[in-house]
Amino acid sequence: MERAVPLAVPLGQTEVFQALQRLHMTIFSQSVSPCGKFLAAGNNYGQIAIFSLSSALSSEAKEESKKPVVTFQAHDGPVYSMVSTDRHLLSAGDGEVKAWLWAEMLKKGCKELWRRQPPYRTSLEVPEINALLLVPKENSLILAGGDCQLHTMDLETGTFTRVLRGHTDYIHCLALRERSPEVLSGGEDGAVRLWDLRTAKEVQTIEVYKHECSRPHNGRWIGCLATDSDWMVCGGGPALTLWHLRSSTPTTIFPIRAPQKHVTFYQDLILSAGQGRCVNQWQLSGELKAQVPGSSPGLLSLSLNQQPAAPECKVLTAAGNSCRVDVFTNLGYRAFSLSF
Amino acid sequence: MSSESSKKRKPKVIRSDGAPAEGKRNRSDTEQEGKYYSEEAEVDLRDPGRDYELYKYTCQELQRLMAEIQDLKSRGGKDVAIEIEERRIQSCVHFMTLKKLNRLAHIRLKKGRDQTHEAKQKVDAYHLQLQNLLYEVMHLQKEITKCLEFKSKHEEIDLVSLEEFYKEAPPDISKAEVTMGDPHQQTLARLDWELEQRKRLAEKYRECLSNKEKILKEIEVKKEYLSSLQPRLNSIMQASLPVQEYLFMPFDQAHKQYETARHLPPPLYVLFVQATAYGQACDKTLSVAIEGSVDEAKALFKPPEDSQDDESDSDAEEEQTTRRRPTLGVQLDDKRKEMLKRHPLSVMLDLKCKDDSVLHLTFYYLMNLNIMTVKAKVTTAMELITPISAGDLLSPDSVLSCLYPGDHGKKTPNPANQYQFDKVGILTLSDYVLELGHPYLWVQKLGGLHFPKEQPQQTVIADHSLSASHMETTMKLLKTRVQSRLALHKQFASLEHGIVPVTSDCQYLFPAKVVSRLVKWVTVAHEDYMELHFTKDIVDAGLAGDTNLYYMALIERGTAKLQAAVVLNPGYSSIPPVFQLCLNWKGEKTNSNDDNIRAMEGEVNVCYKELCGPWPSHQLLTNQLQRLCVLLDVYLETESHDDSVEGPKEFPQEKMCLRLFRGPSRMKPFKYNHPQGFFSHR
Repeated sequence: MERAVPLAVPLGQTEVFQALQRLHMTIFSQSVSPCGKFLAAGNNYGQIAIFSLSSALSSEAKEESKKPVVTFQAHDGPVYSMVSTDRHLLSAGDGEVKAWLWAEMLKKGCKELWRRQPPYRTSLEVPEINALLLVPKENSLILAGGDCQLHTMDLETGTFTRVLRGHTDYIHCLALRERSPEVLSGGEDGAVRLWDLRTAKEVQTIEVYKHECSRPHNGRWIGCLATDSDWMVCGGGPALTLWHLRSSTPTTIFPIRAPQKHVTFYQDLILSAGQGRCVNQWQLSGELKAQVPGSSPGLLSLSLNQQPAAPECKVLTAAGNSCRVDVFTNLGYRAFSLSF
Repeated sequence: MSSESSKKRKPKVIRSDGAPAEGKRNRSDTEQEGKYYSEEAEVDLRDPGRDYELYKYTCQELQRLMAEIQDLKSRGGKDVAIEIEERRIQSCVHFMTLKKLNRLAHIRLKKGRDQTHEAKQKVDAYHLQLQNLLYEVMHLQKEITKCLEFKSKHEEIDLVSLEEFYKEAPPDISKAEVTMGDPHQQTLARLDWELEQRKRLAEKYRECLSNKEKILKEIEVKKEYLSSLQPRLNSIMQASLPVQEYLFMPFDQAHKQYETARHLPPPLYVLFVQATAYGQACDKTLSVAIEGSVDEAKALFKPPEDSQDDESDSDAEEEQTTRRRPTLGVQLDDKRKEMLKRHPLSVMLDLKCKDDSVLHLTFYYLMNLNIMTVKAKVTTAMELITPISAGDLLSPDSVLSCLYPGDHGKKTPNPANQYQFDKVGILTLSDYVLELGHPYLWVQKLGGLHFPKEQPQQTVIADHSLSASHMETTMKLLKTRVQSRLALHKQFASLEHGIVPVTSDCQYLFPAKVVSRLVKWVTVAHEDYMELHFTKDIVDAGLAGDTNLYYMALIERGTAKLQAAVVLNPGYSSIPPVFQLCLNWKGEKTNSNDDNIRAMEGEVNVCYKELCGPWPSHQLLTNQLQRLCVLLDVYLETESHDDSVEGPKEFPQEKMCLRLFRGPSRMKPFKYNHPQGFFSHR
């Protein structure tokens, strides 16, 4: 079968190197700016790129609008997780959290506002930080990752207030249950643990691999977690399952074979993405409503821009095993892709 | 009659109250009285005011009479008629008066008008006179200013200043006593002096001219003398030849070469000169020679100064076709051969490398196309046994391909050639490249030929500075190219036997024990590479062009087989080889379905700089292959055990790893740390 071959441009050493870098790039994390007009994406080389959603979505968008407005080296290792407060972007990768001012980042040569490292037990290897969670009620940040512990950091003073221990292997993901307030964490050891923030104790443990949703050939690890007060959906090695929290019982198992890496509740749907090109949309009953293909062979993060200040930029963005961020203006199809 | 009586009566009345101004007129009137009656004259005598009064009185009387008549008529009766008659007569008289008064008024009017007219005429005459006088005045003023502004020629001459004049001029010209007082005389004297001086200077000029002529003649004589020396010096040089050979100073040989060089076409000449200069200055191992027949060259062209390489190529071609028209039955082949004809002389460059291998370059010049081509050959000190996969590495066709990125040498660099090709039906130069040599861009630059894309020029002439600026880089690149190809040659021989040759100074990059083995190393055709299902990304990124070389490596351990498709860019080793992997073990895993395979590709493709080894990094490919073996080991040993399957793990973990999985993608620890010897994550 004849494949259309792209024109071979004379490639010198730098062009080949850049092309290879882009081929092997993975985008791990995304975050939307408080004004809703910009999207930050962090990749495995430790770079953060800021894309302008408003100019890429406008009617005069050209090819250059799909390139980042600014790219800078934020960390030495991969940027696994990012969140935005109303003025800052917090990014975490190899063992430390850095804060950047959204207003300053668009200028070149931006420096981080501060960086903090939680107190680790081991000094042999610096553990990575896989998940960041903001707790608005107490103005604090929860970090979790390679050292199997959850650390809480107060955003005003920068001190680390609590350490929550209980996982036996590293933590993949965090979710916040607003009501209590409780934090859910899912890890490599296959368990989802609930922590009460006021008492700093573990209140509930769900060992997902012991239930019927387990898939031993994939492993037990919990890669993604989302919660909606009484309900929780988690997936990873085991199949994607919807749980009722109070009774710790699985109610629906979603029929998808590929391990899912990111899941989120959206209106009355559940959106998930993982190995495989597509963003999957599920009804709460377990039916697959739609599967929308993206441009990357595997997806690692989904981001919904629901900032009230920019309703015209209300899009779903998906990124993963490539240098591209897919933008879905409506959940039915992929509109275009931003690229590093 | 009544008029006469009234005339008689009137003068009396007038005389009594006539103004003294009318006195004159009265006399003239009375004189004329005797001749004829002039009413005009009478007008002057009467007072208009009184006439007006008379008019009013007459009108009143008339009104009264009319009223009385009407009364009488309305009363009626006999007397009435007589009274009416009387009154009628009176009113007639009054009417007559009125008529007279009317006439007088008219006459007065006419007189008044005449007088005004006269006065006006007078005024006009004076006015005219005034204008004339004013005009004259203006004219005279103009004349005066003209005279005042008159500049005589003598003022344009820059005269010497007064003091100098009095100092220098001889007294008979300066005549101080006279001139001091009289500026006119002074100026005259100065002008005289000026004239004197000019005459003297003209004399001097004539003398100088004649001097110059004399000196020129002397120079001519001396020149002739010098030129007669030339043949004598030549004979001395001939005599000194044996002495030169005895002392090993081959000036003559170099001289002979320069003689031959004079017959080279300009681009080859530029190349020759620059290469010789470079060789003498920087690189003693470079040798330059000219091959070919000088007589043929002489026969073809006139002396290089007016060579027709400067003319447009179509003219040259036209000349040839006009020459050929007498011979009938011209084949297209002949035309093509003519177009692609080479100049009989060629320049040979021999680049010697450190290991005694030599790169022989022969540069040709295609006269009608105005481009240069090169043929290359590599000879080594020892006989090389070529491994099967290394066939293309040193082949003359491809050894110099893409010396600079994108310079594949299959297309002619001169855009004007396309039109020439169309005329004789040549599609592209690549069909003839094997026998003619490759027209690489760097070859044109070394010959000083520059074909700018934006503004196609009519004539492209060889430029020395262009050649000089590219010479050093190109020579260095050529040497590196030969050496890296020879290194690859040797490495391929070893790879085909399943051994990855890692040199001792690169051993630190790998752990001591590597279990996975390379079992196969073969060349793959470009089309076959494109058809592989796991190479799509590289093809889409435009990194798999047809100037690259493609290979397939197979690494095995136990039941696991790892296929690696390699793209070797001609610019190796500054441009790294690119690997794409496909693992067959418990299913087929490629970068699209397994993140760890993607990470392994990243380890060899993106992190290649660690694997370069010591300069000139000929070890890159072998180090990459060795690293792949290490990565396969790590991959297989760190695979998490599936609890549901019975039996021990196929590959027990022997590598020391701090952590098996890290990050959201659960990456394996692929990074080897030296000298501690454990594996960690990037």
